Amino acid sequence: MTYIGAEEIVSPLGQNTQENFLAVRENRSGISLISDAGFNKESVHLAKITLIETSNKFEFLLVDILKKISANIDASCILSERTIVIISSTKGDLDRDIADPFGPSLVALVKRFKLANQPIVVSNACISGVLAINAGNNFIKAGVYDHAVVIGCDVISDFVLYGFQSLFAVSSTPCAPFDANRNGITLGEGCSAVVLSNTKDIFKNSPLKLFTGTSANDANHISGPSRTGEGLYRTVKRTLEKSEISPDEIDFISAHGTATVFNDEMEAIAFDRLHMSGIPLNSLKGYFGHTLGAAGVIETAISMQMMRNNLLVKSLGYSQSGTSKTLNIVTENMPSELNTILKTASGFGGCNASLVFRKI
Amino acid sequence: MSFITAYCQITERSCTINGEIVSEKNEQSGESWFKQLYKELAVDYPKFYKMDLLAQAGFIGSELIKKADQDRLVTYGDDEIALLFANQESSADTDIRFKESYEDKKAPSPSLFVYTLPNIVLGEIAIRNKWFGENMFAVLPKFAPEFFVQYGSILLANDSKAILAGWLGILDGKIQVFVFLVEENAQSGIPLNKENLIKYTGFIDQV
Repeated sequence: MTYIGAEEIVSPLGQNTQENFLAVRENRSGISLISDAGFNKESVHLAKITLIETSNKFEFLLVDILKKISANIDASCILSERTIVIISSTKGDLDRDIADPFGPSLVALVKRFKLANQPIVVSNACISGVLAINAGNNFIKAGVYDHAVVIGCDVISDFVLYGFQSLFAVSSTPCAPFDANRNGITLGEGCSAVVLSNTKDIFKNSPLKLFTGTSANDANHISGPSRTGEGLYRTVKRTLEKSEISPDEIDFISAHGTATVFNDEMEAIAFDRLHMSGIPLNSLKGYFGHTLGAAGVIETAISMQMMRNNLLVKSLGYSQSGTSKTLNIVTENMPSELNTILKTASGFGGCNASLVFRKI
Repeated sequence: MSFITAYCQITERSCTINGEIVSEKNEQSGESWFKQLYKELAVDYPKFYKMDLLAQAGFIGSELIKKADQDRLVTYGDDEIALLFANQESSADTDIRFKESYEDKKAPSPSLFVYTLPNIVLGEIAIRNKWFGENMFAVLPKFAPEFFVQYGSILLANDSKAILAGWLGILDGKIQVFVFLVEENAQSGIPLNKENLIKYTGFIDQV
């Protein structure tokens, strides 16, 4: 069995898990209007970490989160040759070295913590975080490693913001996932980590049980979501079947919900096809913005906190259904016994991934 | 046992399939090396011309492997073939061009931006073949045969029956491409292990 725990988050909403979850349960957003940010020097809504002023923000965040994680587990695990560190990120520190966006930061991380194994970077668009957690679980189950530290991190850059602006995909207001008036993403930045292990004892707080996750491609379009939600449908179906969990055992879905018109519609269609549209669901993008490679880890960490606190958290930015298939979006915080949670992600390149975790 | 049942190597000058040279770059041609290879494939897939070099590399490698044995891949279900790719420089070749589009040309190019993720090549291969299987793109500091052996074996131990894998080193004119097919139930082939990957890629200087 694989355990998941020790979650940590650094984001505009706080420097650790407690601060982040407090903000989320108070329905506070990390999104603000940042002046002169856009390609034409226009103001843009972003979820930006303004407290950290450093030229190597990506490296700073990796080091910071690994320090914080070390305090939540038997710290000797970090050094162990039975531990793999997996980084999920789309662009790393491309402002530092565009031809080697991860190299310098990883060299610094390995040296700083004397890591026994070379970290693996999973760079698979917006499913990177969920895919990296699944990869860590797979390595442990195969006996290749005993522990995996999965770190999701992406920072806001002109490169990524101008790119999404060129696609007309940036929301003019703070993003509103699944809402009728949604009109695009709000970029965010953040860093989050979880620890996976085959040993319960390494965790200072009780871990949760992680099931085997899967991924699936839409085989449809490199930048447009499938109109049938095929890839998302397939990965959720496969993950539930492999875990021998039926849809009615899922208490909550932490969806991807980027707030683009087509992505959220695709997800609604997929969950309808899966007969899961009645399950309480949210998107956390209204709190953290879209943190790309970090999103899957941040949203898993917050979902773990929701489970520990038995609290359904409101899907911030949503007021009126805006998808052809109606979903059960959480509109107000609500106490609820959460035993089993499904996390999904979808991204450019037609990729989709999912995972399930459960209270022990 | 898992075997490598086909492999394709592309360098700046030549292209081999299962160790046999199938093409050499025509320096006199006005067309790019990958376009020369595309024409030799004799497939009708105009989307190729829109792809960036990373995606073109993966596309050509996968098409050549299919062509080497036309019946090999059609026996698999549409979600039984996993895609497992990696490189050292992510999508840097296109990232540099996208950065030029907004810094020098003052017009961020959406058609370049959509290729500024390394996993787009997986999407292109999946679309071409209507494959709905597992996807993974990893960025590693150098060619790591253990990664392909370990994660490839994990995918085969789960639901995948075959893996189209590859190392796609594409940056600033450098081409170091090795695409290979691993099959779980093959009768023969090259056993999937670290030594064989080093031997057949010829990336010995990197490992």
